[in-house]
Amino acid sequence: MSLYSICESIQGTSLMTWVEQTPWVYPIIMAAHLSCIALFGGMILMTDLRLLGLALRDQSIADVVGGLRNFKRVGFVIMVTCGLLMAGSEAPTYYPNPYFWAKMTLLLLVGVHALIFKPIVYDHPEELDKAPVIPTRAKVAALLSLILWVSIPLCGRLIGYYEPDEGKAPQAVRNR
Amino acid sequence: MQIDAMLAFLQSNAIADLLNNTEWGFAIAECFHIVFFAVAIGTIMIVDLRLLGLAFPRTTSAKLLHDTWVYTLIGLAVTVFAGMALFLSAPRMYSLSGWFQFKAIALLVAILYNYTVHYKVASSSPSPVVGVVVAAISILLWVSVVTGGLFVGLLA
Repeated sequence: MSLYSICESIQGTSLMTWVEQTPWVYPIIMAAHLSCIALFGGMILMTDLRLLGLALRDQSIADVVGGLRNFKRVGFVIMVTCGLLMAGSEAPTYYPNPYFWAKMTLLLLVGVHALIFKPIVYDHPEELDKAPVIPTRAKVAALLSLILWVSIPLCGRLIGYYEPDEGKAPQAVRNR
Repeated sequence: MQIDAMLAFLQSNAIADLLNNTEWGFAIAECFHIVFFAVAIGTIMIVDLRLLGLAFPRTTSAKLLHDTWVYTLIGLAVTVFAGMALFLSAPRMYSLSGWFQFKAIALLVAILYNYTVHYKVASSSPSPVVGVVVAAISILLWVSVVTGGLFVGLLA
């Protein structure tokens, strides 16, 4: 069974058919996806800037990391769920799209980032506050997170620009 | 007729040429629009979470506002300028879009609200009820802007 036929099977499920064919369902899911990116993605960026010592410097790292943690988790779950529904409902279309795969790779790297830095940075924000200067490991974690979380929505947007025939981004006029 | 002439005038501009006639111009402008919008809304949301009593219990909304306003301003400025460039790429099409009109009005209301009611309340020590109402309206307005923007793209 090829990957493409798996994509077709996913698209053929009743849930994905419902998402694709019911009026307004897809746009509403996309609106929720984008709203979460705006609301919670912005929080991720501000957390990273705090770890870099560039923003919210009057707030402790523990308050910023701990205070926003649950909201970012909820936002992430909604974002991913909506993203999966959108991708699944058009799986065969997404399959050849390099920006889709780039986005999936970046999301995988987010998981790797969490595995590496959660135990040594994010689980112990109080220790970062006690240090005379923000430790390098925290700054590296923040910088990588910034790069990942800026790249993910950009790849997401570029998915819509891909034209299979040409294999490159179309001009704006042709995109509309 | 005057509107038609104005739109025709707006259509023939250097920004439209750049966005419409280069491979990545429109996409790059859109990327700036999206990323800086997240920065602006993320910072506003941090203040809103404090007003809602859901985060940062050890500090005040006024302090958070003081710490985030520059990022909010930079985020909104880049978002608006990138948005204006996107609009200039096809002013006639956008002007005729009901969703664009909805988004433009929602954005205007959201910005006015942010720098008047929201700023005044967040800068003071609001009662919990006032804080919750002001933050809820703020979130609703910004989600409306996102939704409007989405449908501009989907239905264009």
